[in-house]
Amino acid sequence: MIDESAVRSVAAVYGIAWVATLAYVVILNAKLGRIERQLDELAGILEARSGDG
Amino acid sequence: MRDRTTAARLDRATCAALVTAVLMPVALGLIFFYVPNDADQGFSQRIFYFHVPIAMTTYALFAWGALNAARYLWTGDLSLDLRSYVPMHLGVIFGTLTLVTGSFWAKVSWGTWWYWGSTELNTFLIIFLFYCAYFMLRFSVEPGARRSRYSAVYALLGVGLIPLSVLAVRIAQDALHPIVFRSNGVNMDGSMFLTFCVALAAMLSLAVSMYLVEMRGKRVDERLAQLRRLAQEAA
Repeated sequence: MIDESAVRSVAAVYGIAWVATLAYVVILNAKLGRIERQLDELAGILEARSGDG
Repeated sequence: MRDRTTAARLDRATCAALVTAVLMPVALGLIFFYVPNDADQGFSQRIFYFHVPIAMTTYALFAWGALNAARYLWTGDLSLDLRSYVPMHLGVIFGTLTLVTGSFWAKVSWGTWWYWGSTELNTFLIIFLFYCAYFMLRFSVEPGARRSRYSAVYALLGVGLIPLSVLAVRIAQDALHPIVFRSNGVNMDGSMFLTFCVALAAMLSLAVSMYLVEMRGKRVDERLAQLRRLAQEAA
């Protein structure tokens, strides 16, 4: 017979580890979004410059 | 030349992620379907196979960060500053997980979330808080060589706490926190040790994947900032 509170604790520990890994992926995704926006901004500067030229 | 280097970096990150993708399900399979219940702690002992590898990975990350800090102080190569900072950052993430998973284990085994009488717990907490303060120091100094130097010295000071922590636990002969790795061998049976080794390998490869991905992100960030400066100067 397995103790129910032990099962809950083990599930919580493994769940937290997975949630942390997922949170890391979400943060990385947000960072990629920021880099993408900065690239757009950079492309805008370069396009404006080539338009002036 | 540059393309080849970037491709090699991508390959390393992909390889590490693939190794993790193989090892992690194997580790979980062993933990939940292979290894027997512990005679003393029962089902809750399965927390050990995640908690201890996470703690060991934390130590490995802090040690790797400190080693790169030492290399930075020795050579003055600024790229080593980043290679020191990223493992510290990941070490704090893994350290947080160690404390959270350990607290769950403590609650189910000892009936309390934290036990202040345990040398192992307290020394780990001191190391963790020490490296949390690393970020306060780092971000309170202007970016540049001075910040890198201060951060490197701080990172090096902290790594000395790791062997001290291990030694303190042995000297204190802490009766509550279990000591599995003793000087005369490992205090668990073969199947448990195999499961532990696979879980440790999975956790280390996860940390390596995260390290490589984060390093790439930081490098891309730096290159982008450089390009923006150049574009603004040219405009």
